[in-house]
Amino acid sequence: MKSMRGDLLDWSDQGRIPAGRLREALDAAGVLPGADAWRRFLDRMLLFMGVVLLGAGMIFFLAYNWNDLGRYAKFALAEVPILAVLAVVWRLGVDSLAGKAALLLASLLAGALLALVGQTYQTGADTFELFAAWAAVILPWVLVARFAALWIAWLALLNVAVALYFHTLGWLWGMFFSPEKMLWLLFALNTAALVAWEGLAATGIEWLRERWALRLVATASGGAITALGLYDILDWRETSHWGVPLWFAWIAAAYYAYRHWLRDVFVLAAGVLSVIVVTTTALAKQMPMRDAGALLFLGLLVIGMSAAGGYWLKRVVAEEGA
Amino acid sequence: MSATARDALWAKLRGQGLVEGELPAPGETRAPWFVRLMLGIAGWIGAFFLLGFVGAAFAFVLQSSAASFVAGACACAAAVVIFRAAPRNDFIAQFGLAVSLAGQVLLVMAVGKWFSGPSVVVGVALYIALQQALLFVLAPNYLHRVWAAWSGALAAAYALVDMGLYAFVPALMTAAFVGVALREFDLARYGAIARAGVYGLALAAMQAAVMHGGLSGVLIGLRGDHGLSLGEAGIWLGRLASLAVLLWAVVELLRREGLALSSGQGRVGLAGALILGAASIKAPGVAPTVAILIVGYANTDRALTGLDSFALLGYLSHYYYSLQTTLLEKSALLAAAGVALLAARLAMRSWWPAPKGGETGHA
Repeated sequence: MKSMRGDLLDWSDQGRIPAGRLREALDAAGVLPGADAWRRFLDRMLLFMGVVLLGAGMIFFLAYNWNDLGRYAKFALAEVPILAVLAVVWRLGVDSLAGKAALLLASLLAGALLALVGQTYQTGADTFELFAAWAAVILPWVLVARFAALWIAWLALLNVAVALYFHTLGWLWGMFFSPEKMLWLLFALNTAALVAWEGLAATGIEWLRERWALRLVATASGGAITALGLYDILDWRETSHWGVPLWFAWIAAAYYAYRHWLRDVFVLAAGVLSVIVVTTTALAKQMPMRDAGALLFLGLLVIGMSAAGGYWLKRVVAEEGA
Repeated sequence: MSATARDALWAKLRGQGLVEGELPAPGETRAPWFVRLMLGIAGWIGAFFLLGFVGAAFAFVLQSSAASFVAGACACAAAVVIFRAAPRNDFIAQFGLAVSLAGQVLLVMAVGKWFSGPSVVVGVALYIALQQALLFVLAPNYLHRVWAAWSGALAAAYALVDMGLYAFVPALMTAAFVGVALREFDLARYGAIARAGVYGLALAAMQAAVMHGGLSGVLIGLRGDHGLSLGEAGIWLGRLASLAVLLWAVVELLRREGLALSSGQGRVGLAGALILGAASIKAPGVAPTVAILIVGYANTDRALTGLDSFALLGYLSHYYYSLQTTLLEKSALLAAAGVALLAARLAMRSWWPAPKGGETGHA
């Protein structure tokens, strides 16, 4: 779990590496990037930054309120680049890094095209429909790209669509669409994505084994169920009272999965923080919050729980290296 | 790293005289960044309850600025003693963190009441910067030092904004980060202190870069009609300063790697820095985030490079809503920068060809 860099820095802090020779040790261990690593990094940086800036430039261009351009010219400006980028993908293939970056660019441009459709024809569609349609349109490209970053972008679009759906309609039908329902839907979406992703990654699909992406999805899922647990405990408006039971289930499942099966201390740390927040909120609800003793007790409890959690997590990290 | 790989690395380094003594047990090592993040957030929650306790049990402390100051100073001093007395005890360290955070809030509340008039923002901000610098030096706890460096640098940024030097904030924060980060491994026994400073300064620099533009109204709103007024020239100079910081970072890295500016690698680095630095003249968050990205990579700091990638995306999202430039100008700038970067990538392939058989998965 711990990186070679982390171990070398620890050894330096403990005085095991002679003063002034840490860089030499990092070099000898191959931790610092050499010429090839730098080349790969710059290659990727120039490619992906170029693609993102170009995509953002196109989106900004189409968002500009053009009066001098006719409808067909605008659509040509949106569609021709997509076709050109798809031609690049066809030429390079989706397995090449540049091909994946081109599909990312095509996905960004598709959003700009959909926004243009809404702007031109005044379809009356709500913003959430734009994001939902965007996610639906690019799904085939996301499927063929086999690229974790594009899947994360796709999931982000779905999350935004769900949030905007409740933001747009919540005030209209407040009785039916409460923030709790939005949280349930976000929780279901991200948890389903997490389970599917982890399951497929465990079967050995290499490109799915990007821990940063899985950690993002796990954080979204854990954040939603923690919020639902708090919603239930604080009894804001009328809750379904499923928040706390499902939170317990999520914590137990995360503990089992990330302690015994997949071993990811990041998710365990997020779980510890969730336990601290939910437990403290539950106890605070039962205590008089103007009472000095209660406040001191809760302060010490948070300190004790976090220290114990930190100690346990460090032991887990140490076990990984044992 | 597995135990076998750890043993092998130790043996290799010992063979080269780069390590001394026995291989430390894995349990002696420090926590990863996300465990520290969890501890930091929990430390703040604990601090709020402790503050509530002080307010409920000793109401006069919150009502009197002098009492607040004395109580805050005592809490911070107690935290310093706690950190020094038991540096390896997790519970004590977490307790010290919460006590210190509560003390810092009390100190700032007290000092906030002492300033009035147009100097209130700059006065309080400079006081916070000084207070956090002092705590950074005195309190020997990594997490506390990251917090002290971050909050102290942000306070200094607020003071600069209030003094009318708003346009220079991203460049100055990034320069401070680059200056410390590039020497992070050369500071021997001060290395751990420098690393905490690097994270604190990086967080402040990212924040300054992402908030530069429309969101900076939050900062500028604090300003009265005092401070320097450099007008349009000041804004241009600030953005040129960001470009200069990015170029400086690239030149320093090339020097560190022993590469000439005229080498293939040097030309690629300088071309990329010039393109992105030029884009920063109109999109001022780009150069600082790119400087953090490359320095983070040079130091093999994956947490920093990952966080900074999100900061860059965050800046672009914020830039869309920035009202200082029209969407048309922004689109031309971003598209031109994007095309220039892709062209630089093609140029890199001739200036700095890949080793034979050394690359897969590329166009």
